[in-house]
Amino acid sequence: MTAAAERALQPAGPLAVDARGVSKVFGAGALAYQALRGVDFQVAEGELVMLVGPSGSGKTTLLSILGCVLSATDGQVSLFGEPLHGVTDGRLAELRRALIGFVFQGHNLIASASALDNVRLMFELRGVSGRRARRGAEELLERVGLADRRWHLPGELSGGQRQRVAIARALAGTPPLVLADEPTAALDAHAGHQVTQLLVELSRERGVTVVIVTHDNRIFDLADRIVRIEDGQIVPSPTLSPSPTQGHAP
Amino acid sequence: MKSVRERLAAARGGRIPRWRASVILALRMMLHDKAKFVGTTLGVVFAVVLGAQQIGVLMGLLAKNTMLVDNAGADLWIVPPNTEQAQAGQRMSTQLLDQARATPGVAVASPLVMVGTAVKQPGGGTEAITLIGFDLDTGLGGPWNVVAGDPADLRHAGALFFEDAQRDRFGGLNLGSVREVGGLQVWVAGFTWGLQPFGPAYTFGEIDLVRDLTGVASDQLSFVLVTLEPGADPAAVAAELRRRTPGAEVISQAAFHDRIVGSLLREQLGITFGTTTAFALLIGFIIVALSMFSAVIDNLREFGTLKAIGMTNLDLTRMLIVQSVAYALLGSLVGLGLVAFMADGIRSANLAVIVPAPLIVATPAVMTLLCVLASVLALRRVRKLEPGMVFR
Repeated sequence: MTAAAERALQPAGPLAVDARGVSKVFGAGALAYQALRGVDFQVAEGELVMLVGPSGSGKTTLLSILGCVLSATDGQVSLFGEPLHGVTDGRLAELRRALIGFVFQGHNLIASASALDNVRLMFELRGVSGRRARRGAEELLERVGLADRRWHLPGELSGGQRQRVAIARALAGTPPLVLADEPTAALDAHAGHQVTQLLVELSRERGVTVVIVTHDNRIFDLADRIVRIEDGQIVPSPTLSPSPTQGHAP
Repeated sequence: MKSVRERLAAARGGRIPRWRASVILALRMMLHDKAKFVGTTLGVVFAVVLGAQQIGVLMGLLAKNTMLVDNAGADLWIVPPNTEQAQAGQRMSTQLLDQARATPGVAVASPLVMVGTAVKQPGGGTEAITLIGFDLDTGLGGPWNVVAGDPADLRHAGALFFEDAQRDRFGGLNLGSVREVGGLQVWVAGFTWGLQPFGPAYTFGEIDLVRDLTGVASDQLSFVLVTLEPGADPAAVAAELRRRTPGAEVISQAAFHDRIVGSLLREQLGITFGTTTAFALLIGFIIVALSMFSAVIDNLREFGTLKAIGMTNLDLTRMLIVQSVAYALLGSLVGLGLVAFMADGIRSANLAVIVPAPLIVATPAVMTLLCVLASVLALRRVRKLEPGMVFR
């Protein structure tokens, strides 16, 4: 492996995400399908990593395991030193609530709640109550440029606006880790870049660690580090590393 | 920036904001799909209306058969053995009356004669009545719900009180109208309203007149009505009366009421109304269960998202229970309002739909239980939901 490739794979500083030897097998017997094969994946605190690869390579499976919504068949995973293996569903929910902000491919906002209430909900789930939750939600919506649309339902917003609400929701209460799954998939090139840039800016302002699963090479320039995954394994891809001038030292 | 441990503690401890958030979200999600909200609420309303209306009609029918016992003014009744209804046809000796009057603790013992007979109509034909003869001095077993005339007028020869709702059936009765009963002329001294048991309507007269009209011997009576002296122990007086009247049965007013209700419920009335009410509740249960399950299926991705962003199964269970309770309370409120409206609309001397206070209290409670049970299917689906679905 070249030095550049090593650099592309290794984080610097204390670890936010530490996955070692992670495997995931779906199904059993003849129908078994191995999605991940002994993956080692580390992300330093404050780092922004893009996880790239072709469809079916295992990147979303890895993101799901890091997001505590899927358990690994084998291997060790910890977030900020908190191990994920052998813990109850309730504890996993607690870890998700406390540590992780999610940005989903399809925004996944609550259709019956306004933009403000979608963001406020996340504050409240993180234990922030009343006026503080509302003020925090309003500030975040202002920051993503949707202050004047805070009472709109998701169905009354454009795709880009919905994704910006989703980013505000993910950052509500400033979780230390944001996991984003193809956040630009449903957006045009311009909106996709804008939304990702917004996510990157807000995360860096708050020192949040970000892992983005994407195959959208138009946003690669926003990453500190790009990790490629193929056939369930991390592969060295120095050519995918962003330019050093665009990277961000954690 | 907070440490990871501080964050975990905050996430673990923030139950009140999470509780509040899940309750508000549950109501929002419930109201968002308006068609489903209206459909589910109507399902509960339907179950409440049908169930409460059936129970109300049943209560009305039961009241028709207990009204004499409830309004006669007696504390104790002396009745023929194994009597299950206060109805015409019973005969006992007047010696029982003497025995009762001589019993310590008895304030008043009064005879009641109850006989089925008929009124001859002016244009020919007859109309059946249940003639009740009572002692005018005690008034026990006399008319109530009097809408015209004075019961004191029953002292006049041939005077009777008829049922107001039956005036047309008796050939257009008015105060002072003359008719023939048992071959003798009687006249209308007053009217009662709504005194129609399952059988022919009650008609009241002085006891000796009723004996003359129906041929009941002067040493015969149907029941003895007893009131107690102030401070007398009802159980002790009843026991003494039983000892003194071995050929009869002594029963308290409340026990006689319960016995009549029990015998009617054991027979066709209970089975008929019980089955209809059970079906109403079952239909409501099915509608709510299907609506809630389909609401969960429609919003599966939202529930998955809520799980992914940190809601627990307990939070989601709370949401569905909040929705169930909201449907139950709303449906009960609307349903009971409709039943009250209907009860007022169909109230007549023949049938009164009675919506008693316990029914008003029990309906939301039963519907809440029913709706919570109905949400079990939806709950199972939500609890089994994998939060990882949001990434698929």
